[in-house]
This record gives sequence, structure tokens and C-alpha cells, in this order.
Amino acid sequence: MSTLLRASELAKLPVVTFAGEAVGQIKDIVYAADGGQVNAFTLAGRGLFAGPLNTAVPWKDVVGLGPDAMVIESEKVVVPTGDVLAPATTSSGGGGNVLRSRVLTDQGTALGVVNDVIIGIAGQGAQADVIGYEIEPAETLGRGRQRLLIPLPDTLAASGENLVVPAAASQYLTDDLARFGSVVDSFRSQLSAPTGAASNNPAQRSAAPTSAAGQ
Amino acid sequence: MEWWVWLIIVVVVLAALVGGFLAVQARRRSGGVIIDDKSRRKGGGSS
Repeated sequence: MSTLLRASELAKLPVVTFAGEAVGQIKDIVYAADGGQVNAFTLAGRGLFAGPLNTAVPWKDVVGLGPDAMVIESEKVVVPTGDVLAPATTSSGGGGNVLRSRVLTDQGTALGVVNDVIIGIAGQGAQADVIGYEIEPAETLGRGRQRLLIPLPDTLAASGENLVVPAAASQYLTDDLARFGSVVDSFRSQLSAPTGAASNNPAQRSAAPTSAAGQ
Repeated sequence: MEWWVWLIIVVVVLAALVGGFLAVQARRRSGGVIIDDKSRRKGGGSS
């Protein structure tokens, strides 16, 4: 992974066309339930009185993504939100938003609450993937209030208000974003190892979504 | 009532309205990170 970003760094970035026209700002980041690939960004209007635009930009149409703006070719690539996302699934409409969701291991231990999401971009024009969560650790971890980064398997699947990760992920908690890329690689190597702790394929077991019933 | 009492009431009501509007706008515009379950529901998922 060459570039790691927090999702919060992308929110509210202006979306600008080659012609220099600002078509809105990033509102939500949409990623696939199975695989973790970032699929699209939903847009909100700019200005005090503007709200959600009910439009989105698919990831494949993003030309550039920098610290100050996201660049697209033209306004023609902007599509209705329904083309990239189920209608009831928006951060303000309830459902689907992983922020503030609880992270559980597949052995039932609460690790914390998602505060941010870490996105890895392999290179210019490459796929962007959700590779980890930044969590506010649960008291039972005994790690204080410092926010921690937790890696995710490359066969990530997530749904519902509880996010289940392999128990081995708790051994890879770190607070250093600069090192997080190598931590994720180590974690995924362990999961793909044919023997040992990953023998029951915890990556696949992590796919089991849980409902909000436990909340 | 004295005129200044009405003035205070009007100012308080206006402040509440403006505060409420800003809070609603902040919530409407706040971003999130959304899981897209669409492909899986269409049968396109693999896991």
C-alpha cells in the first residue's frame, strides 16, 4: 500500500471538474460489503444552506484524489445515488454507516467502537480498499483512551451494527498510521498461512454479520 | 410586560431557531463510511 488515508480526511473535500467547476463536496464513502473496495462517494452541496445532493461519483471516474480536492473529468460522471447505493442506506438516513459501530472479535470480545476508517490506495488509478478501522478501545482491552488501528482481512465482509473481525486482529493493534500498512500485510499473511491460528480460516469466519440485537 | 422582556424573548427564540437550523444542517451534511450491500443482495457477492 503506497497511500493510507483516514476516511475523515476525505469527507468534505470539494469535488472539482477539469473545467474547474465545483460540483459539490464528498459526503459519504461507499465501500463494498464483500471485499472492502471503495466503490463511490456520495455528494453534498457546498454552502451553509446546501444539503445532500442525492448524487454520487463512482470510484472508477475519479481522476485525482489529493489533500485538497477530488478531481473528476466532468459533471457527466456524476450519477444518482441509487445507482451506487441502496436507497435506505445513507449515513443520515440510517443503516450502513460503520462509524460508531461496535467491533467484536469472532470469539465475542468487544474491541471498541469505530471512530474512523483507514483506506489504502495502491497507486495512481488503482483500487482503493478499506484495510482497517480506527477504534476507541473498549475498557476491557486495558489500552486507555488512545485510539488504535485494527487491521482487517482482505476477504473483509461487514454488515449490520456490529463488525466482526478475526480474534487474531487484536494482536495487531497499533497507534502508528505510518506503520499500519506493514501491520496489515503481516496480519493478512498470518491469516493466509495454512496452519496455526488461521487454520479455521478466520477471514471467512469474520464474514458473518451480526444484527443489532446484541446492542 | 416591559419592552425589554419582549426583546429578550425574541432574541432567545431567534437564537434557538438559528441553533436548531445549524444543528440540522450539520447532521444532514455530516459524512459517513457506508457499507454497500447492493451487490450481495443482487447475488454478486462472493463471501
